Amino acid sequence: MTALAVPVGTLTRRRARTAAWSALAAALLVVLTAVALGTGQVSLSGWDALRALVGQGDPGNVLVVQQFRAPRVVSALIAGAALAMAGSMLQRLFRNPLASPDTIGVTGGASFGAVLMLATGASQQLIPLAALGGGLLAALLLGGLAWRSKMAVTRLVLVGLAVQQGLAAAVNLMIVRFPAELAASAMQWTTGSLYGRNWTEVWIGGTAIALTALAVLLCQRRVAVLDLGDDSAGGLGLNPGRDRLRLLLLGITLASLAAALTGPVAFVALAVPHLVRLLAGPPTLGTLGLTALTGAVLLLSADLLVLHVIPVHGLPVGAVTATLGAPWLLALMIRQGRPPQRST
Amino acid sequence: MSTVLRTDPPATTAPATPRSSALRRPLLLVAGAGALVLCAALSLALGSRSIPLSTVADALTGAAHGGDADVVTGLRVPRTVIGLAVGAALGVAGAVAQGVTRNPLASPVTLGVNAGASLAVVAAIYALDLGRPVQYVWFAFAGAAVAAVAAYAMSRRGGDLDPVRLALGGTVLTVVLTSWTSALMLASHRTLDEARFWLAGSIGGRQLDTLTPVLPFLALGLLGAFAISPALNALALGDEAAQSLGVPVARIRLAGGLAVVLLAGSAVAVAGPVAFIGLAAPHLVRPLFGNDHRWLLPGCLIAGPLLLLAADVLGRLVVRPSEIEVGIVTAFLGAPLLAVLARKVAR
Repeated sequence: MTALAVPVGTLTRRRARTAAWSALAAALLVVLTAVALGTGQVSLSGWDALRALVGQGDPGNVLVVQQFRAPRVVSALIAGAALAMAGSMLQRLFRNPLASPDTIGVTGGASFGAVLMLATGASQQLIPLAALGGGLLAALLLGGLAWRSKMAVTRLVLVGLAVQQGLAAAVNLMIVRFPAELAASAMQWTTGSLYGRNWTEVWIGGTAIALTALAVLLCQRRVAVLDLGDDSAGGLGLNPGRDRLRLLLLGITLASLAAALTGPVAFVALAVPHLVRLLAGPPTLGTLGLTALTGAVLLLSADLLVLHVIPVHGLPVGAVTATLGAPWLLALMIRQGRPPQRST
Repeated sequence: MSTVLRTDPPATTAPATPRSSALRRPLLLVAGAGALVLCAALSLALGSRSIPLSTVADALTGAAHGGDADVVTGLRVPRTVIGLAVGAALGVAGAVAQGVTRNPLASPVTLGVNAGASLAVVAAIYALDLGRPVQYVWFAFAGAAVAAVAAYAMSRRGGDLDPVRLALGGTVLTVVLTSWTSALMLASHRTLDEARFWLAGSIGGRQLDTLTPVLPFLALGLLGAFAISPALNALALGDEAAQSLGVPVARIRLAGGLAVVLLAGSAVAVAGPVAFIGLAAPHLVRPLFGNDHRWLLPGCLIAGPLLLLAADVLGRLVVRPSEIEVGIVTAFLGAPLLAVLARKVAR
């Protein structure tokens, strides 16, 4: 965020570093996708798996890859990317390194919607919609409670925490009151999982996420101006309160869509922006792309481990993302020897 | 909460200065203690079966026998005593945590204490087939201590604690531990069924033998907290100012952190993870007592149990004859409270 004061040489070097990391992440993404599509009861080589994805090769393989494996892989990729981008956006808007869907109410809202739907015994297909609705309900509460203070950042942080705690308490109440069986499925949903995704969900969710992500990319300039502080942003012709509310809605929508697709997977939104900041420097448009790539890689590799390596039934993917990502983040924090983010 | 709102404008214009006589704060303390006694009496009298206060008094002195008296001495006295101890521990721990980190959002939860205790208890239920809160005590205490030590280790920098790194490291640690807890619970439905009640945070269904093992730690934590309360005032001025006043900043922070771990670890060992008392008690006390930690800590010592017992009584009354766990009630009540606090902070 102090990019203006940085000498040009540093900027070029940062750009080169971002590009190098992005290339590495993209390569990793392709390899992991091929492995994920090729591994299972029917084992395929990575090349065959990628060919089967586009409909070439043995029809049996095409069926297995296209119908059974691809929806899960694709939802891991888009949800990981969406969560990471949303986390980066929220941390910048809240000017707080701890802001993430877990601390501002999106997780609580999405869980509330989904668990409420489970409680009423409605059809499984409605659960993603309910989760999306719950996430947006959290956004509504957040905006409504913080609106009168012109969306001041300190207020937003506290109100977000309050919304999250209130909604999480409601979820907790239901889990304690449910019969054991229902409590288990509620618990399963609230930890996030990629089981049983189908193409309909992936298409709808993916399109919505892609559109929202595009809007996020187009708004990056505004986020960067808000980073300068409310006074400077006002001087540059922005209305800080209104613009922050709009951007916040975008970020929350992105996180809610991801939660609707995979459940609220922990850690990705919190940690990936920090990882990217430690690897490539302060956020720019380029690092946002790297953030999305890293999120996708993290979630996909966690899901691969859950599916094929760790022999525990029903292991939530969030547990693996956190276990995979935390040592990495902590090592970087310790090497850095100073707080990884003081944005303003 | 309406009183909080009404005292709002003067509190913001002159935050630290007490308005009138030197008698105000002692009087407030006495009033708070009176409210606490009232709350404890209500906690003894109300529940799925309401018992008149005269019968309660008879049961306590041993004059009455039979069903009602047994309920009072056998169930409600332990519950109320545990509520008092846990509330006091959480209230003081919150005040010290906020003082040490100079962060109004800090609370024992920030250090990963609750997440560590939860993981240890769930693992114990999973592996050892335990089923009663009294058996969880040591696991919870150990888990809380290990988590807090890990959080400190991550935030050490040059022999001192870095508050920002403490918050980030503690949050990351909490996420990791919580996800492992859910993984264990999903791996075994028996564990889920046992643990979900403990994880909600409750002071019911326990006898005093749940409290006695941690009492020494609790007392030690309280002593430590009160011993450093004058130094916390200096710490509030910033590290350098405190240093120049002759306060050993790093050592005070370490002692404060230790007190928080002892207090919050004892509380979670007895009652399970109860949110919000530690966060809310200091914020409620500050408008009344000012920012002087020598008054803030005694205030929290009363406000903590007051909040906890009031929430517990409320949880027993709303869905009679069943009850809602106190941890869920405090979270529900805490959410709007936090939103009100946000209004003040943002000014």
